[in-house]
Amino acid sequence: MKVVLQSARILDPQSPHNGKSADLLIENGTIVSIGKNLTGDRVISSGNLCVSPGWFDLQVDFCDPGNEQKETISSGAAAAAAGGFTGVLLMPSTQPVVQSKSEIEYLLRKAQGLLTDIFPAGALSHDLHGKDMAELYDMHLAGAKAFTDGHLPVSDAGLVVRTLLYTKTFGGKIFASCDEHSISLDGKMNEGPTSTALGLKGIPALAEELMVARNMYLCEYAGAPLHFMNISTARSAELIRAAKKQGLPVTAAVNVCNLAWDDSALHDFDTNLKVNPPLRSRTDIDALLAALADGTIDVITSDHRPEDPESKVVEFDLAAFGMIGLETAFALARTAAPKLPIEKLAAIFSANPRRLLGINVPSVKEGETANLTVFDPDMEWTFTEKDICSLSRNTPAVGMKLKGKALAVANNGLWNFS
Amino acid sequence: MNKRLSVKHLLGIKQLTAEDIDLILTTADQFKEVLNRTIKKVPSLRDITIANLFFENSTRTRVSFELAERRLSADIVNFSASSSSVKKGETLIDTVNNILAMKVDMVVMRHPNPGACVFLSRHVDSKIINAGDGAHEHPTQALLDAYSIRERLGSVKGKRVAIIGDILHSRVALSNIYCLQKLGAEVMVCGPQTLVPRYIGSLGVKVEYNLRKALEWCEVANMLRIQLERQDIRYFPSLREYTMQYGVNKQMLDSLGREITIMHPGPINRGVEITSDVADSDQAIILGQVENGVAVRMAVLYLLAGRTDE
Repeated sequence: MKVVLQSARILDPQSPHNGKSADLLIENGTIVSIGKNLTGDRVISSGNLCVSPGWFDLQVDFCDPGNEQKETISSGAAAAAAGGFTGVLLMPSTQPVVQSKSEIEYLLRKAQGLLTDIFPAGALSHDLHGKDMAELYDMHLAGAKAFTDGHLPVSDAGLVVRTLLYTKTFGGKIFASCDEHSISLDGKMNEGPTSTALGLKGIPALAEELMVARNMYLCEYAGAPLHFMNISTARSAELIRAAKKQGLPVTAAVNVCNLAWDDSALHDFDTNLKVNPPLRSRTDIDALLAALADGTIDVITSDHRPEDPESKVVEFDLAAFGMIGLETAFALARTAAPKLPIEKLAAIFSANPRRLLGINVPSVKEGETANLTVFDPDMEWTFTEKDICSLSRNTPAVGMKLKGKALAVANNGLWNFS
Repeated sequence: MNKRLSVKHLLGIKQLTAEDIDLILTTADQFKEVLNRTIKKVPSLRDITIANLFFENSTRTRVSFELAERRLSADIVNFSASSSSVKKGETLIDTVNNILAMKVDMVVMRHPNPGACVFLSRHVDSKIINAGDGAHEHPTQALLDAYSIRERLGSVKGKRVAIIGDILHSRVALSNIYCLQKLGAEVMVCGPQTLVPRYIGSLGVKVEYNLRKALEWCEVANMLRIQLERQDIRYFPSLREYTMQYGVNKQMLDSLGREITIMHPGPINRGVEITSDVADSDQAIILGQVENGVAVRMAVLYLLAGRTDE
């Protein structure tokens, strides 16, 4: 099939066509031609059609193996494609935990033939218990692209230093979530006026910031790169900014839900908004947006966490943390950060996560294999249940008016049209 | 005259208007009068069946509700977590729907999780009365407290009320703050800084960590119990030290130079938050609160049962 992108703005600093508008002809998984008046079997056009290297999500849970009623590799991959993503990094928090070569191989085998590239992350500690190192080198050889305990912070500072040092020699990437448990205890939402009014246990911003600060020191000591997976507070952003200025090899991501909603949205105990890190204050959101604009934060993630009704349609205290996000990540980000230049947003979604992970960044130029996302950053649409490709439905975004939509993705010789 | 509540459920004071609260208190006046007759029973809720669902231990609130229901001639069923299927893994929605399937009209629920009643109201078809949900709300307690202040001091408007003790774990504090503010009172909270929520000031209350200063400021002191069973970690070293700083005794009250009213939602830890000579003095209206609790709960049940949706 010949697909033509009509008058599309190319957003790819690696491409000689960067910033220009042109027609693109893609055939048999290759960008055949970039020029004018091209024709094909299927033509995509839109008010402000853009094309960038395929988007990549650094933090998703596909619940496979173990909780296939919530998501599978193929349903998750479909959700990713619908949201404009051609690659994802899977968190290791499955059952069993991804902590050896065989789990990595299982995931890679399941990923064969899919449009979405699946990159597994391996557990940093055995069973995610934060005590003993998992077999990081073996997983690295099998194809693990990063090591992390996912949403579980590693309390043991010594373990973090040792894994940073241990993986440095073979280039393993360490991803860290930050939460000092003795401060957050069993908090359910951000500590603030809303948690006070609801009588819910609060998670102080301090809990995150203490561990961000601690991890900075560990990173400096080890001299190895450290990625902060999901920072959520103004002070965390400030700490990352200072660390980058100091020349530390740190990178950072923010979950899109932490940009899209502040904690006041929880006023009627909607468990779909129960996430960790928790939704913070408006002040925090403004600081995170500024940190995205100045490059302090490198990446936006969907933090796609499918949950079944048994885990979500329960009392707030008992509900699982997390929401699905692949289908809405770009639109929520665009809606939350309308002032962020679209070139920058495209990089945040495509090149930045891949560079951070140390994998090849595809390019939009003639003769290249097509790994690209076609989108309209200005399209206004309403997200409905029908737009959900995930097996789970735990999102508060249903019914929301959003700006910016992925229209199609191409990768591995396949197309997905949204 | 509009004699209707603006709400279908009593989930919290947060959802009530000042007019709602007023209506409940004036209705309670009539029921209090009933309770002092020889025949204390009225037929108002004769065709109504009420389920009292207590997923957390409670004695006084359960007894108070039960008496209020009996005085109104309602049929009642009691259900407590220990004798329930909750421990067999049944969900809250299923548990409640099973009881509602037996043609129950109203649910009175005590639950350990904040927001449990709000959650339930969205998923089952019944009128719900919150009898305390975690550290969120305990609306009937706040209503009976307001009723008792009004009875003692003539009105709530303009009064200065200090809530003293474990504010962090207290549903009574939150409901009282909302209720007193809606009725025009000034509210202060006082307790050790570890037991006062950091952002409590955002609710428009004064915050004081010194007991003496709080007592000097207020006309009514509502003494909360230290809820050790709700404290997963240590917030102060010992009850002895708590009492040293936040225990109210008669000598202290006498030295204020004017009489303030002492309230307590119970159960009292004598010698911890208040000494016996305070609890048993004329300044304290603790047993009056208990008596008023039945009248106020009768008013709430009566008004909600009578509220139809057409």
